Amino acid sequence: MAAVLRTLHPVRSGQGLIGSDPGNCARVLGVDGVALSLLAGERATELVWASEGDSRRLEDLQFTLGEGPGVDAVVRGSLVIEPDLSRLPAGRWPLLLPELTALGTGAVFCFPLLVGRVCLGVLTLQRRASGPLTDAGMDDALILTGALTAVLLDGGAASDALMAVERPSDLYRAAVHQATGMISVQAGIPLSQALLRLRAYAYRHGRPILEVAEDVVARRLDFRNDGPEPDPSGRKRR
Amino acid sequence: MAVAPQERVLQAFGEAVGTLIDDFDLIDALHRLCARGVELLDVTAVGIMLAGPRGDLQVLAASDERTGLLELFGLQSEEGPCAESYRTGEALVNAGLAAPDAIAHYPVFAERARQAGYATAHALPLRLRQRSIGAIGMLHAGPHTLDSSGVQLGRTLADVATIAVLQQHTIEQGNVERAQVQAALVSRTVIEQAKGVLAERWATGVDEAFDALRGYARRHGERLADVARGIIDGTLDTEALR
Repeated sequence: MAAVLRTLHPVRSGQGLIGSDPGNCARVLGVDGVALSLLAGERATELVWASEGDSRRLEDLQFTLGEGPGVDAVVRGSLVIEPDLSRLPAGRWPLLLPELTALGTGAVFCFPLLVGRVCLGVLTLQRRASGPLTDAGMDDALILTGALTAVLLDGGAASDALMAVERPSDLYRAAVHQATGMISVQAGIPLSQALLRLRAYAYRHGRPILEVAEDVVARRLDFRNDGPEPDPSGRKRR
Repeated sequence: MAVAPQERVLQAFGEAVGTLIDDFDLIDALHRLCARGVELLDVTAVGIMLAGPRGDLQVLAASDERTGLLELFGLQSEEGPCAESYRTGEALVNAGLAAPDAIAHYPVFAERARQAGYATAHALPLRLRQRSIGAIGMLHAGPHTLDSSGVQLGRTLADVATIAVLQQHTIEQGNVERAQVQAALVSRTVIEQAKGVLAERWATGVDEAFDALRGYARRHGERLADVARGIIDGTLDTEALR
């Protein structure tokens, strides 16, 4: 844990917002994965730090479906501790829970990054095996949440790291935002609706939203037809 | 981008600090932070002190509250490594409690700490931007050295304590919502959306769209995010970018 905390502040440019290795962090906390999503605007979140695999998938699913433990943690500004997802009533997150069952996620723990009443984002831990965090794991997760919050409040360094625009973009959901811009022009609708169309399409087709967005950007898929969803013929291979 | 939201946070903080001491949850959180700090930093004891309304340090929590540790940290409201670190805003590490320097600067604390069996002290300020609001102190029974990575870890724990203290406040939404990171994220999102809009209008790739966006921003001395916003809300004629 000491190593994780020591390396939180990125020391090199291009290292991203958070310097520590998320995979290592997950091991220290006794979980399979960690993810940090920050609020960008009203409800939208952007994934800025995550271990490979299921944690990214969990964040993407919540982004697509608009529900889940991270969403609840942000809205309520409180911890969301679910050590056994199999015991939850199906109505808790009607769209997300079946997806998590399919993914094999057993437990999720969400820690909102709070400054007073203001929520900056949420740290989410997930594990395939159900069961609570250890006492030490819980303490460490709370300490990590505070340390992450401090990094984000640390003047300009964090925002400078974010604003260093790379090409191709290093923003995790860059393709989603690009596709949103394209769809808004294709369908002649506002950006907010364009994003909803994209999310709805990904959900209906059971595909990761990033993959669908990449299809839009690569022009393998378009939303020109003014229907509830694009005509399948609109999905053309180059 | 809004200026220095932390300054306003600090104001709210300054007003409410007197009532903090009664808050059990905060004390519990800080107590656990201290206990974990002992293991992480490999020291004998850790304590956290916070400045009251008149700038006097008060003990908020210590790693072991059953011994005389609280009392020992309490002495530092007047003198000691924590008091110095709080006053100067600088880290004070690897201070030998029998060293002439320590005896000269904080004679009472140094003697009482030695009697309690401690040989080395470290202190780091709790900082919010440019101002210190308290200090985190460490004591060790034998000689102990905090190297630069140890100091970095200590600073992180100090940050966590600061955040925990801030968390207790009812800070209204407007005060922090334009935190710089958030503003930066929104800007990044807008830039990506604008790339998509241009790429679609011009039937080009997003990279070409970005080059045009950046070229225009540079030629006109404008920020990328502002140009991107202009594209998205339609106030900027996209033909001007080509």
